[in-house]
Amino acid sequence: MTRPLAWLRQWLVQVWADLRASTDTGVLAVARFIGLLYGPIDGQARIDEALRKALRYRLPGHVGWRHAFGGVTYLLFIVLIVTGVLLSFYYRPSAQEAYPSIQFIVSQAPFGWLVRDLHVWSASLIVVAALAHMGRVFFDAAYKPPRETNWLVGLLLLFLVLAFGSTGYLLPWDQWAYWTVTEVLDALAGLPLIGGPVVAVLRGDAIVSGATLSRFFALHVIVLPWVALVLLGYHFTLVRKHGIAPPKNPDEASRPPVPFFPHHLLRSFSVSVVALGLAISVAALFPRPVGHAANPYEPPSELVSTWAPVDVSLGLIRYLGAWGFALFTLLGLSLAFLPLFDRSPERRLRRRPAVAALGLTFFAGFVAFWLIGHQVRSVAPGPRPEPERVEPAEPGITLPPAGTTPIRPAEPPTRPPGGLQ
Amino acid sequence: MAAVLLSRVGAPTASAAPAASPAFQQDTATYGCVICHADKRRAFQLGAHAERGIRCDNCHGGNPRAFEVRTAHVGRFVGRPTKIGVAQLCASCHSDPDRMRQYGLPAGQLAELRTSRHGRLLFAGNTDVPTCTDCHDAHTILPPEDARSNVYPINIPATCARCHENRPLMAKYGLATGQLAELRSGAHGTALFEHRNFAAPTCIGCHGSHAALPPRVAEIVHVCDRCHAELGRALYGGPHGRPALSGRLPGCLGCHTNHATERVPPDRIAATCTRCHQPESPAAQRGVEIQQRVVQAAEDLRAAGTAIEELVRAGRPVTDERFRYQTALTSFQQIAEVQHSLDLEVLDDLALRVGSISRTIRSTEETAAEQRWEHQLILIPVWFLVLSAVVLVRFKLSELRRQGE
Repeated sequence: MTRPLAWLRQWLVQVWADLRASTDTGVLAVARFIGLLYGPIDGQARIDEALRKALRYRLPGHVGWRHAFGGVTYLLFIVLIVTGVLLSFYYRPSAQEAYPSIQFIVSQAPFGWLVRDLHVWSASLIVVAALAHMGRVFFDAAYKPPRETNWLVGLLLLFLVLAFGSTGYLLPWDQWAYWTVTEVLDALAGLPLIGGPVVAVLRGDAIVSGATLSRFFALHVIVLPWVALVLLGYHFTLVRKHGIAPPKNPDEASRPPVPFFPHHLLRSFSVSVVALGLAISVAALFPRPVGHAANPYEPPSELVSTWAPVDVSLGLIRYLGAWGFALFTLLGLSLAFLPLFDRSPERRLRRRPAVAALGLTFFAGFVAFWLIGHQVRSVAPGPRPEPERVEPAEPGITLPPAGTTPIRPAEPPTRPPGGLQ
Repeated sequence: MAAVLLSRVGAPTASAAPAASPAFQQDTATYGCVICHADKRRAFQLGAHAERGIRCDNCHGGNPRAFEVRTAHVGRFVGRPTKIGVAQLCASCHSDPDRMRQYGLPAGQLAELRTSRHGRLLFAGNTDVPTCTDCHDAHTILPPEDARSNVYPINIPATCARCHENRPLMAKYGLATGQLAELRSGAHGTALFEHRNFAAPTCIGCHGSHAALPPRVAEIVHVCDRCHAELGRALYGGPHGRPALSGRLPGCLGCHTNHATERVPPDRIAATCTRCHQPESPAAQRGVEIQQRVVQAAEDLRAAGTAIEELVRAGRPVTDERFRYQTALTSFQQIAEVQHSLDLEVLDDLALRVGSISRTIRSTEETAAEQRWEHQLILIPVWFLVLSAVVLVRFKLSELRRQGE
């Protein structure tokens, strides 16, 4: 009885020893192979040295938590790429399949709800993080020469974030997405000279349709990511080239520098995990509701906004009117381009009260109107055609005599000129 | 002057109205008339008669080839026919079945008109009542299918209202006004004006057009059941059927109103019964029982609809639930039928079916809601990891600081 067991034990020991030997050999072989490749490559590209240089890099002593916003923006960008790729495994960009595929993602695909809501929320949070980063640069006067080019690149990146959000907004292909994009494109078409042709290219059809969806999808997942990578690379290169901007108060400059590794990397790591935790929390607690499937023939009874800039626009238009929206946009644009003209070396905020007040108005206003606009329940896109009113006047009626003014047939629905109301 | 006008009228210009028939423009038979009556020509060209070869003199007589009033208005010329004259003039063609056959038109309008109150007063010499041209226009006569026509379904109430909302005029004949507002407020008006549902009756749907008269009491159920056939059948089979048919009950108007036709809301059923029945009577008690079931079924249906909306917002496919909801809706609509036959047994069966389907849909929604709540549990491991990482980083940083010092 014991003989077969002993034999089996001996056999298993032998197999295990062989396996270990072969694994050791394999790992060794892989290591050797990498060394074989890495050696010559490193000889040419100096990867090792570059890595060591980066780790040895020392940041100025005044770099603190407020410098984390840029990193958070980049983190959210990475989250958007990862969740976006995961979504694209299931999402189908066609008018027939887009809505069912979204339903599949949020109700069937494993953790699809999390991936989708993280993508949606990160799209809103990245706008706020980018604005916060811009605010830090603005109030620190970090845009002053020689860093004004990087301010412009950052500005382009902000517009890129907005372009990402705008093109992604249509993809769920529900009533809210469809009609919001319809309204916004109609409003854009009203811009003189460029409005019409730009909208014609973007829409690709007489109305928002499958053609528009394909275009928005292609822009969202093919064109814009490459532009973003190029611009981000340029942005980071310029940061490294010019270094972190000097502090507002000259006495802060005397602090000892901080090593990038491990001090700053650890701080960045803890900020990143907290930011990620917050993004996951809002995604799990406030999932983006799904509207009814897009229907070009029937506007919904209300439009629900699902993106921070749309919320801000809704809040502005509802409470300040179309002019308020235009002025706020103008304020944002003037702040964006102000650094190009503000070239004095003065960095202290107290010496720049007007600029500081304007900046604070815009950045605080954006966040405030995001929260306000999120509460706004938008009305339906266009008023439904009113039935003809032929209420008789008292005491008799004064309808036109027969035949002279035939009662008009129903007019097609018209849209309010202000777009989203 | 005449030559100038002649050259402008005679040339087949591009500025002519689009509805103008080319034959009419080149027709020498109207040259004379349009020298003075260009406005009538324009109005006439928009109508159906211009395309059928009818010309001015077919109705007005006279000599259309003459260029002066003196020579044009001669013979059997009639400038503006009297109201009776209009009816007789139209009937000269429209009462001829042989002539109307080619256009697919009926030929009995004059006979119908004579049976109506309008017609009886008209032929008695009354000039307040309408004649053909008051509803159909004198020159721009359009078929009822044309949306510009005064007798296009959606325009009919306004056409009737021209006289019937004229208080002093109606007071002369002891008639009430306000029907147009009532119609608009009711189910028929909503269907017609807001939903553009032309299956809904306009004034003529119940009163008739040429033979317009209010239905008699015993006729009301027949007028209504032309469209509401199932409800009519249920009513005849129930306890109210015989009295309604014999005219002892005001038919459908016992519970509903005529122009402001409305559904009896579920919570007003019992109150409607007590309009005729004593509150303690068995009939009123049955009304209370019916109301309880209908209110419950309406609530079940509403809850099912809300649950489906919630499922849509949660991104769930709701094809099955929508199908179930349609089944429940069908049963709920059948309850309306039972309200007319007052059969409690069938009502119970239908209400139970609505309730059961509603519970199925709601349980699906509750499962989805539970799942959404479970999703939030992911925050426990996430924040455990986040806080652990932050604490560890803090320890490491303070250690580094100590080392630095």
